[in-house]
Amino acid sequence: MPRVYPEIALTAPHPARESSFPAEDRRAPLPGRGPHHADCVESHLMPQPLEGLRVLEIGTFVSAPYCGKLFAGYGAEVIKIEPPGGDISRAHGPFKDALPDPETSALFLYLNTAKKSVVLDIGTPEGRRQFLELVKTADVVIENFRPADMRRLGLGYETLSAANPRLVVISITAFGHDGPYADYESNNLVAFAMGGQMFMTGTQDGGPLKNGGYQADYQGGLNAFSAGMLAVLAAERDGLGQHVDVSVQQCMAPILEATIHYYTYMGRWAGVRRGNHMASFIGIYPCADGHLGIHIMARNWKPFTDAIGRPDLFDDPRFVTQAARTQHNDDLMAEFYAWAAGETKHDVYRRAGAGRAPIAFVHTMEDLLTSPQLEARGFIQRIDHPVAGEASYPGPPWWLGPDGWSHMRAPLLGEHTTEFLGSSAL
Amino acid sequence: MTMPLDGIRVIDLTMVWAGPFGARMLGDYGAEVIKIESPRQWDMLRSLGLIPRDEHHWYNKSAYFNHNNRDKFAAALDLSDTRGRDVFLKLCAVSDVVVENFRSDVMDNLGLTYEAVSAANPGIIYVSMPGHGKTGPEKDFVAYGSNVEQLAGLVSLSGYEGGEPMKTGFSYGDPMAGTALVGAVAMALRQRNRTGNGCYLELAQRENLTMFVGEHIVDYSMNREERPPIGNRHPFLAPHNRFPSAGDDRWLVVSCESDSQFAGLSAAMGMPELATDERFATNAARKSNEDELDAIIGGWTSVRGHYEAMHLLQQRGVPAGAVLTAPELLSDPHLRSRGAWVEHTHPDAGTWEMEAPPWRLSRTPGHIRMPAPGFGQHNSYVFRELLGLSEPDLEALYAAGITADDPDETLHR
Repeated sequence: MPRVYPEIALTAPHPARESSFPAEDRRAPLPGRGPHHADCVESHLMPQPLEGLRVLEIGTFVSAPYCGKLFAGYGAEVIKIEPPGGDISRAHGPFKDALPDPETSALFLYLNTAKKSVVLDIGTPEGRRQFLELVKTADVVIENFRPADMRRLGLGYETLSAANPRLVVISITAFGHDGPYADYESNNLVAFAMGGQMFMTGTQDGGPLKNGGYQADYQGGLNAFSAGMLAVLAAERDGLGQHVDVSVQQCMAPILEATIHYYTYMGRWAGVRRGNHMASFIGIYPCADGHLGIHIMARNWKPFTDAIGRPDLFDDPRFVTQAARTQHNDDLMAEFYAWAAGETKHDVYRRAGAGRAPIAFVHTMEDLLTSPQLEARGFIQRIDHPVAGEASYPGPPWWLGPDGWSHMRAPLLGEHTTEFLGSSAL
Repeated sequence: MTMPLDGIRVIDLTMVWAGPFGARMLGDYGAEVIKIESPRQWDMLRSLGLIPRDEHHWYNKSAYFNHNNRDKFAAALDLSDTRGRDVFLKLCAVSDVVVENFRSDVMDNLGLTYEAVSAANPGIIYVSMPGHGKTGPEKDFVAYGSNVEQLAGLVSLSGYEGGEPMKTGFSYGDPMAGTALVGAVAMALRQRNRTGNGCYLELAQRENLTMFVGEHIVDYSMNREERPPIGNRHPFLAPHNRFPSAGDDRWLVVSCESDSQFAGLSAAMGMPELATDERFATNAARKSNEDELDAIIGGWTSVRGHYEAMHLLQQRGVPAGAVLTAPELLSDPHLRSRGAWVEHTHPDAGTWEMEAPPWRLSRTPGHIRMPAPGFGQHNSYVFRELLGLSEPDLEALYAAGITADDPDETLHR
């Protein structure tokens, strides 16, 4: 049964007018309804932005699945082609209650929401044939194999394009489809190192540090989505697909703040890792129950010293300007360590926010699940799953209307195989 | 050859990194992007170029600005004056997309809400890129670059084993929001192609980045266990670490996802017997004896250059990579071969190399079509050609300081 929306929801009014369009109506399920994915599927009052697109995902692990998750979340039909054992992320965990089960891997459950799962071994001649049949019906293919592996499978871009000239093929690899490293083995760690972000992360003494989770892979997935959507627009305009070649290294290397810009333009390169402090006034400090993050620009000094109740610091000649604060960096850092140790994170965050002082705190997973801000925006949704049970999922990444995003669970392994392969299913 | 965003006009009100970077990529792939700065409030990246203030047009030479604002036009317009606001709404009427990343109340206070802009152009795609979002109890809190990753949960997962949570090396949330802008705008354009309707699109930088730790949220909600940082290691795989290389502050990463990759590593190191050693023969065994294994690998890597070791290991099918520095990225043979860096000339700033558009679209590639605009460089194009303002009206705007060909640079020194 279609969900009924307030008329105003058909096009978003200005969001700041909370009175006319309460935040809890914008994203959260209706009271007492629970996750409303079934309603989303049937509702055609306001089409989702990617409705009508069929996407085949033959990617594994994180980068291609995150790209596919974005397509699926915004309304595309995403058919995830899994090998007989399933995407390797099903074997990866962490699992519910630490009990390995292909249906309870948090990594898989998160990255594959709102998709359909078809088990098909594209490494066999029959599997390849069936895959190419599906390709003829698709708008987009997302893959993250090495180029050599795609060729070995007989599924290079030329083959896919010959089967369906309108097809957009999105390839996500660490290095891209040509160049001397094109067929090098990679993964999140290797891409993070080769993209230049690792060298500048961590402390000078501690050595280069990987960020938490799979950040290079997520960057690949997000870049691939944006690049792929440009190709979808072009395909719908021209009636012709193309190959979208996303090199994670090439996406990561230019975005090191201004490091590349200053180096290529002026030859300036500090070559140091600054750990948790870009300066005393941009950094992370331990507090009584966690860690605070401050980021003070010149205009924030007054609100900041007000928020922490230290007018003496505001007036201190050592700290009156950003230049003076830089000059007396160590003195100021000592002041901040002493101050932060006496604060608790939620209290100082609210106090600073009310006074527009730039103090945040390092959110743990518990903090995300209990964040009043994320709660008010309905950003964390409970989604049920027949094996894993209910869990909390973030989304949508971007708001495009009250029903822009599907809060649907990940598929069981092969749940939709017969739907798409019928009696010829393996 | 066409580009994907040919014929799309974007008004870019954004400042600093996230918004300008994203809007620049819209320009890289064909959109006509018009950057609006106020005569008294330019994009502060113009001031962050480390350029001596006595140089002519110093504010047009900032590399930080010029990398993030190429492929754009620029016009100067004070939106806080009602006459400037009227001109802006005329511009909205002939545009497809408007992007802003002001503090959450600024556009409201200017009278430039979505209602106001969509009244001028119902097909407009209006994008806000606030830190926290435009609703909720924290909507007005200040959130700069380094705060976003703290709020997104990423920092709590990062750090050395047993150490404190660690920031990323840069304001990571910014380029991720800019990258997302392209995909989000493309979706909204598709929606408009199908329905005829524009829309309001909100890209809260904090939420965009929280998506990058989603599996940890699902995990925590199922298991109620925080996973402290584990440095460069992996929760399940071994080896998976960063190792010292020959030279000062040079490093290599190595990780094996299978026994065959580990056999390749063992052979490359001249120690094939490790592959059958019971301490290391399976991933579970390697994980149990990880310290011992990492010491063996580190002994081998520390006497070789990071590139040399990478090539030796890759020839055996082992995932390995040099931890590249900025100068190494600029000279990396692979990125060079891909055309990742291209020579670029700017009338005020001179000639240097900047990054190519990041994604290779085979049929509709992106291009660097024009250098970043000088302040107010395209006032005449925007006000005369595009909007057809009369000369007296335009003179009045100049006279009132609502537009200007030169900024009041004394405000920014």
